[in-house]
Amino acid sequence: MSLTQQRPSAVTAALAEDRLGVPSIVFFVISAAAPLMVVAGSVPTAYTVTGVIGVPFAFLMLGAVFALFAVGYVTMARHVVNAGAFYAYAAQGLGRTQGVATAWVALLAYNALQLGLYGIIGSAAEPLLVDWFGGSPPWWVIALVAWALTGVLGLLRVDVNGKILSVLLVSEIAIVLLFDLGDVVHAAPAGLSFEGFTPGALFVPGVGAALATVVAGFAGIESSVVFAEESKDRHRTVPIATYLGIAIIALLYAFSAWAQTVPTGPDGIVKAASEQGTELIFNQAALHLGGAVSTIGSVLFVTSSIACMIAFHNTTARYIFALGRENVLPSIFGRTSARTAAPISGSLLQTVLGLIVIIVYAVSGLDPVTKMFFIFGTFGGLGLLTLLTVTSISVIVFFSRDARGETTWRTRIAPALAIVALCVIIALTLVNFDTVLGVEPDSILRWILPGIFVVAIVFGLIWGRVLKSIRPEVYANIGLGAQAVGGGAK
Amino acid sequence: MAESDLSSPSLVDDLYFVLHDNVTGHPLLHSRLTGLTLAGGILGELMLAERVALDFAADPERLYATVQKATGDPLTSAVLGHVIAEPHHPIGTWLLFFARTIYADVTARMIAAKLLKPPVRHLLKQQPAAPADMNTAAWPLARLNLAIQRRKPPVDRDCVLLGLLAAAGCAQRVLSEHDPRFEAAATAMLPMQLRRLIAQTKVAVGQAVISRR
Repeated sequence: MSLTQQRPSAVTAALAEDRLGVPSIVFFVISAAAPLMVVAGSVPTAYTVTGVIGVPFAFLMLGAVFALFAVGYVTMARHVVNAGAFYAYAAQGLGRTQGVATAWVALLAYNALQLGLYGIIGSAAEPLLVDWFGGSPPWWVIALVAWALTGVLGLLRVDVNGKILSVLLVSEIAIVLLFDLGDVVHAAPAGLSFEGFTPGALFVPGVGAALATVVAGFAGIESSVVFAEESKDRHRTVPIATYLGIAIIALLYAFSAWAQTVPTGPDGIVKAASEQGTELIFNQAALHLGGAVSTIGSVLFVTSSIACMIAFHNTTARYIFALGRENVLPSIFGRTSARTAAPISGSLLQTVLGLIVIIVYAVSGLDPVTKMFFIFGTFGGLGLLTLLTVTSISVIVFFSRDARGETTWRTRIAPALAIVALCVIIALTLVNFDTVLGVEPDSILRWILPGIFVVAIVFGLIWGRVLKSIRPEVYANIGLGAQAVGGGAK
Repeated sequence: MAESDLSSPSLVDDLYFVLHDNVTGHPLLHSRLTGLTLAGGILGELMLAERVALDFAADPERLYATVQKATGDPLTSAVLGHVIAEPHHPIGTWLLFFARTIYADVTARMIAAKLLKPPVRHLLKQQPAAPADMNTAAWPLARLNLAIQRRKPPVDRDCVLLGLLAAAGCAQRVLSEHDPRFEAAATAMLPMQLRRLIAQTKVAVGQAVISRR
């Protein structure tokens, strides 16, 4: 029997049975992006805080930027065994030290995105509780309940079941579209205005803040490549799922963000969003479609936020676990819970951080939506932008050593265009960071928060150097994730 | 009971006993991780019996059968049959492949060998297959604990057992004394291919933890 003969392999066929196809990956990816949470939570908050009415255009534009970024990203996924995609790519493209710095930025960004969600759950659940029981506890009580639920489910390693997830997601998208329809047929007296879709409506003071929020809405899409090893065909499934996910998110969010402005008219949206906050779209729906539909929407808003919390909790915990396995973080983080196969230390760390953030905000009396959900979201968005830029640079450097049969468009042009676009967006975000925080333009705070990323990068680089000199065997495995314990075999 | 008559149960059987409660038979480890660890155990058993080996010249290292003849035991024969039929897969692929079915197969084999009692149904709840003899079930873990207590590396077979336990991430949970340094020293003396098997089991366990399913 020859070793090279091509006949159907029983092993490959059996393993292929539980591989993921395009729809499963798209579901996983979009559910982390939680459509209803973005449409009901992020969009009105973006209108309120930034006063920019070009949010719909921002979604379309960033959809294009993400698609451009994805060209190089999915190309790299074909050639690199990836554990925690971003830092694995940076480690392979730019070097292991830079990989460590990227890992730290990613850790910070994902943590921020997850922790910020504790700020939205209160306002998501409040109207329902008032409706049903005539009163509602303070936001932080609701947040603590959600926190406890997330923490326990994280330790039990309960991922929201794929089937439940699909049902929730499809209902969410359906209800969002229904709300949109209700808005569109109840236009303001001035008639339909498409101003939100014009670049002019976006590129006004505050644009950077709006862009960073919108980026946070896309968070989760980058996880598609993590499924490469588990997909039916890593050369086709992952790219198709990635582009499809980006397209669905960009179009759905842009349309919904625009639909919200239709009943109020572009001039009234900022005022309406400021007054009603996260209840805006539900109030609109109650008016146009009746209370029952609005209540279903409110319930889905809560489930969507919780599903998103669990997804981000588990993603971050796994990220910490992968870094622990590589010994980039202390090896205690590479431990698993034998009973439930959960990345136990990472999960606990996440839970502790969540508690600290909720307590700090509850004690200091800061607004959970604009000061917690929004600031953490934008901060995470800024980190995500940084990661996308670094990854694009890594793609170019990686393929400049050996193109591995890939086209110039995939390995150079698209990533280069993505870098330019991303740098512009980062610059705009930094310029507007005072708007994000709601502080005076000369406040020192606007530089401190982005500065945290700089500190993370510097410490990451130093730590990478330290590892190289004192633990070269650990250094050699950076970027391999769970594979690192296999002696670095590739 | 003398040690000689107890050394005859296979490595996988020992592994099964260590990963389950001696009395009730309840699993101590998540079923997915148990499957991967038992898959590591069955390959380890075949390596120790010199039926399969690793080809280090290939990239990635592939597992191949050194002997074509049957082992006399249906389960190991079936495993060997798969490796003979497709000698081009790396260990990682085989671990995933055997992990799908090995749990049920090993349980069935141990019930047939009267090492486990068949599972019983009490009212609505299915009780797991419990060990037929508590002492037999406790012996493998006792051997490991004894070796650790004396800081004296056990025989190769038990070093593999210890290595696989550590790879599954449950050494701390089951051993009376958790000493990573001793575990590392014990496995370091094993032949290269067994060390690779243990490392690949650890990789597979890590990936199962990271995977979202």
